[in-house]
Amino acid sequence: MALHRIGLVVPSSNVTVETELPALLRRHPSADFSFHSTRMRMHTVSAAQLAAMNAQRERCIMEIADASPDVILYACLVAVMMGGPGEHRRVEGAVAEQLATGGSPALIRSSAGALVEAVRAIDADRIAIVTPYLRPLAEQVVGYLESEDFKVADWRALEVADNADVGRIPGERVLEAARSLDLTGVDAVVISACVQMPSLDLVEAAEEEFGIPVLSAATGGAYSILRSLNLPVAIPGAGSLLRADTVSVPA
Amino acid sequence: MSQLPHTVRGVDHVAFPTFDPAGTVAFYRDVLGFPVVHSICAAGWGPEKHPDFIHFFFDIGNNDRLAFFYYFGYEPPQRGIKGDVYARFEDDIPDFLVKSRHLAIHVDSETDLMEYRRRLDNSQWPVELQVQHETIESIYTHDPNGYFVEITRALRPVTPQEDLDANLTVDALVDVAKGPDVSMAALLTRKAELIVERAADWEPAQR
Amino acid sequence: MTQLFMLDVPENTPIVAVADQDPHVSVDKVGPYFRIAADAPIVINRRATGCRHAVWYSSVAGLLRSRITQWDKDAMRIEPT
Repeated sequence: MALHRIGLVVPSSNVTVETELPALLRRHPSADFSFHSTRMRMHTVSAAQLAAMNAQRERCIMEIADASPDVILYACLVAVMMGGPGEHRRVEGAVAEQLATGGSPALIRSSAGALVEAVRAIDADRIAIVTPYLRPLAEQVVGYLESEDFKVADWRALEVADNADVGRIPGERVLEAARSLDLTGVDAVVISACVQMPSLDLVEAAEEEFGIPVLSAATGGAYSILRSLNLPVAIPGAGSLLRADTVSVPA
Repeated sequence: MSQLPHTVRGVDHVAFPTFDPAGTVAFYRDVLGFPVVHSICAAGWGPEKHPDFIHFFFDIGNNDRLAFFYYFGYEPPQRGIKGDVYARFEDDIPDFLVKSRHLAIHVDSETDLMEYRRRLDNSQWPVELQVQHETIESIYTHDPNGYFVEITRALRPVTPQEDLDANLTVDALVDVAKGPDVSMAALLTRKAELIVERAADWEPAQR
Repeated sequence: MTQLFMLDVPENTPIVAVADQDPHVSVDKVGPYFRIAADAPIVINRRATGCRHAVWYSSVAGLLRSRITQWDKDAMRIEPT
């Protein structure tokens, strides 16, 4: 099987990306993946810390590109969205330029861009989202998605400020928040619009329960990685987004 | 003359190596006041062994940019006795050739030209030469890397007949360069032939 | 006939005017070029034109049936070939 190297640029306290992405991509029927990360120091999801984090981006790309990854996922969704509408394109462009100038063939994707890509891929217009953030930050995320022409019909902010704590939010609490959403006329639910709030085990069951597609920042990231590598999107048990290329076998 | 649509938009960047980034920044940003508008930090990830480097850009007006590469831990052996850090020459290469390659930056007025003159004269890199003739006025100096830099203003706008003349010169040059006698005399003769052939029917392009 | 061409731009007109003073020289226009013609050598005194060097040494656009035998800070001399 072909081995694909995935570079991950993660906030330093993030443990979920390095847990959920390998767990997802391990399920791929025909491709193997290895994961290599570089970290940006951050503990509190605040505007000041996020700005400092973006400044570390150049160092992180320098490091991770040395490992010759096939694709790099810049996995800090809220730091990018804090930069205002279109920021993921600017960040991806700056990273692409840095890679290209140094002669690296690595592709770049971001979690923020991947989420937008995934929601578009399933043709969803009206969405509902769950975030772990304090309200002002959650509002920025909502604003960012609306600037991409999605209508955020309803949203939740679990108001957990410490990123390490976000990584420990129990699934029950996330599911409860998702169940509290008003899903009238909603095309899809983003059950975790955050790369640190774990949600992988919830996605499939929530999709069955709500009857509409359920995605997360993690499943969006996996989708974008597979598409970038021209690999079939055929991951079982993590929502219909990741079964886009799965051929159904009639019963 | 070319009929192809001409949609290029000037100089995205013209790039040179530097081995003195502090001097380069002092000259272009601090003395001349050209803003730093972009930078890229990268390693050499391609197949050839390549140091980590910074690529940085100064705005030189009109959204055109002058860019430099600085390579960490690399400086080439100094060869030759004259030239800049990129192109070095031995004694057998005449100065007219050494000075031929240069960047000339445009200003609109005498006031602007004198202001850049003032900035250079108040720095470690004073104006070395100021030249004026009927159509242009220029100041010249060498930057910290030895690159020859000109700042120039036009004393009068270029006329349409000069465009024609330039095209005739170039056509004559291309013809003469293919032939047996490649000389200025041959060029002037060929150009006279082209003048007789083409100039009488020339109409200036519509305004 | 010796023929010398000069582009009609402001810097060149003093040179053409000086050349025209010689009764053996005729001056007409071919498009935007002055054609300075004579059956004998054409001599133009630089100082009489008031031209500085850069203009002086770039003033000749074309030559027919002639060659430049002198072109310095004193004068330009064009002879028939």
